[in-house]
Amino acid sequence: MQNPETTLPSILTYQGIPVWRHAQIIQWVAQIASAILVVALVMWFFGNMAFAIEDREIPFGFSFLGREYQTPIGEHVLPYKSSDSFLYALVVAATNTLVVAVIGVILATLLGIFIGVCRLSTNWIVSKLATVYIEFFRNVPLLIQLFFWFYIILALPRVREGYVILDGLYVNNAGISFPGPSASGTMPALVWLALVVAAVVVGVFLHHRLVRREEEIGRPSYPFVLGCVATVGIAAIAWLVLSGIFGDAPFSISMPAPEGRFGRIDGGVTVRAGMLVLLVGLVIYTSSFIAEIVRAGIQSVGRGQTEAARALGLSPMNTLRQGTFPQALRVIIPPWISQCLNLTKNSSLGGVVGYTDLTNVAITMTQTAPAINIFLMLMAAYLAMSLTWSLIGNLYNRRIGFTG
Amino acid sequence: MAAETQTPTANVLPPPRTEVGVIGWMHANLFSSRLNSALTVVSGALLLLILWYGSRWIFGTADWTVVKTVGGLFLIGSYNTELACPGQNCFWRPQGSLLMVTALLGMIWGIMGGGVARRIAILTAVVAALFAFLPYSLERMGWDVRILLLANVPATAIGWALARYTPLGQAKWAVVWGVAAFLITLVLLRGVPNVPGLQPVSVVYWGGLTLNLLLAVGGISLSLPIGIALALGRRSNLPVVKLLCVAFIEIFRGVPLITLLFMSQTLVPLAFPEDFPQNSLFRAAVVITMFSSAYMAENIRGGLQALHPGQAEAARALGLPGWQTTMLISLPQAIRNVIPAIVGQFIALFKDTSLVYIIGMVDIVEMGRVFISRPEYLGSAREMFVFLAIVFWVFTYGMSYISRRIENHLGVGQR
Repeated sequence: MQNPETTLPSILTYQGIPVWRHAQIIQWVAQIASAILVVALVMWFFGNMAFAIEDREIPFGFSFLGREYQTPIGEHVLPYKSSDSFLYALVVAATNTLVVAVIGVILATLLGIFIGVCRLSTNWIVSKLATVYIEFFRNVPLLIQLFFWFYIILALPRVREGYVILDGLYVNNAGISFPGPSASGTMPALVWLALVVAAVVVGVFLHHRLVRREEEIGRPSYPFVLGCVATVGIAAIAWLVLSGIFGDAPFSISMPAPEGRFGRIDGGVTVRAGMLVLLVGLVIYTSSFIAEIVRAGIQSVGRGQTEAARALGLSPMNTLRQGTFPQALRVIIPPWISQCLNLTKNSSLGGVVGYTDLTNVAITMTQTAPAINIFLMLMAAYLAMSLTWSLIGNLYNRRIGFTG
Repeated sequence: MAAETQTPTANVLPPPRTEVGVIGWMHANLFSSRLNSALTVVSGALLLLILWYGSRWIFGTADWTVVKTVGGLFLIGSYNTELACPGQNCFWRPQGSLLMVTALLGMIWGIMGGGVARRIAILTAVVAALFAFLPYSLERMGWDVRILLLANVPATAIGWALARYTPLGQAKWAVVWGVAAFLITLVLLRGVPNVPGLQPVSVVYWGGLTLNLLLAVGGISLSLPIGIALALGRRSNLPVVKLLCVAFIEIFRGVPLITLLFMSQTLVPLAFPEDFPQNSLFRAAVVITMFSSAYMAENIRGGLQALHPGQAEAARALGLPGWQTTMLISLPQAIRNVIPAIVGQFIALFKDTSLVYIIGMVDIVEMGRVFISRPEYLGSAREMFVFLAIVFWVFTYGMSYISRRIENHLGVGQR
């Protein structure tokens, strides 16, 4: 049984804190007010935009995606021709950005770790050289660096008179060419690649098992060596078997060679000038940041850890590999992820050095297609990339139990 | 007893010669082991190669005429050309704002009383004054301009004297003067209609290093407070506020700045009524500031997260209300802990001002690019970009140097 006197008119006879000083009520009012304000502002923007679209007949809509783009894309990793659709052109451009981002992140990380370790070297010259490298390249705008490398590459000789370093390495103002794999057929190549992936999985699994065995029985079981042997062995056997079945090796090495009147280079792998400049600029710029991150990470590990590892008899290399570095990784990974994201976003400067990245193609497209829709797609694409990087970072953080 | 335990001084040998002095230093730092010696040889050879080819290029093969010829245009772009400022010499306007800046630096010197502040103030004044003696002519640069440049030295002295001998020598008056100088600079550069000598100059003609510095100063001074607000909003326990802040931060951090800048010129005008006053430079400045604020918010959030919760709890236990806990206890410590990240963001913002080429503004980098595309300077691209790199480096390295001094001063990492 409830007392009607306390339930029904409780709002009227409320005797607690006055409403205008009640913290929770104030907070909710403030929240609702700010939400209304933001929504109203956004509505006003979109209203104006909708009015402008109607009034000034600004093109709008996603129907352009199926149309033929009919504009060449300077450099592309995927095959592309002018009669392809807008949608496919955007996919080609996004692939360009992704390729630069992935290669750039790998190279910048390797170079950054190298420079960062150099900076901590006890050798005076090495550490000072690394310091100068870091302080210079991270303090100068990427745009200036890209222009600098662009004009360096531009000053290289033309393909006909280009440098030939070691037979098969061509350097000229069209880019850099080196020997690369060439698939003899789609089927054997795909089968072999699939088997290689399987071999890597087997190798990693074996490595894990052997590490655990090593910890259990306390005697070395060579997990790394045996894992590698398993992977390489399976891949090699697959190669031989496939060669036997198809009568031809899945891949052959193709050598670049100048062809034709204008000296185009055929065969091998060619990194063309735009991508080369962009990669060089991005890798050098980002590696200077990563070097500082690596240095801070290594320094964050207490000296006692190193000393303890040395006291246990670990070699300096093993101290770094098994003692310091795994602990430093916890400090390194979060800022490293944000540098990966920065590199991906900075690749949007590719346009100034002649690399047709996503932003560059999208900006060109706005001349023949509705700008509003293109920018919506562009933002969505970059947000997807940045969220992917964040996801990788979060997964890693969860795995190593890093809370922060 | 003391005599027994003391070793006779005659038996104390000097340390081995391989452990002290130049040889000792070299032994410890260059040749401590076989590997280290090999490293020294390789890196020393590399260093010598760089020095040899570098100096040969700088003093021999490089042709610096393009840098000399462009000269003053690097500083103000096409601000003082006939198109921008017909029939008048407008060079004194950026000059006037420079005078205000040097006076401000003098004032900061007076307040701080020596150290970095003194060095920066004197260096700026001297460099500015030296421009008056440069042999090449700044475009349409007369005696009045040269005298104004020389006046930077007395301006610094006046600022210093005001700070030392009048009640103006307080940090808050320096801030007031700094804000005033920035606003006066904007008015001075933009001009006022119907005032003789102050005819309006379209922002299209603003350029050169002045443009970079204006965008950087405006962006820096606004992105810090906005970033703090966003960081606090993101950590707040009000779901709606938190959602809005997270959305703002993630959207602005996830998209490249040049995409945002391009959108600010093509899409943002559509979002306002047609008769709304529009200014492309202002839109660009807003976008750069918001982009930087999103990063700043994450830096400050990092500082707040690293703070021990005991600090805030102690403040609450002492009876401080929530906002005072934040403003007096949490924020100052959080900001102190992330000074390097904040200054790093300032530097990033300054570097990002070079991206305004995307909206057609001619900043110092674009100015250089315009010049090297002229037929007479076609081969001078490398010289130009090395010069521009050094210009940016001086400013950015100066900023990181000051931040390290402030860190030392505040005792970061020692308490």
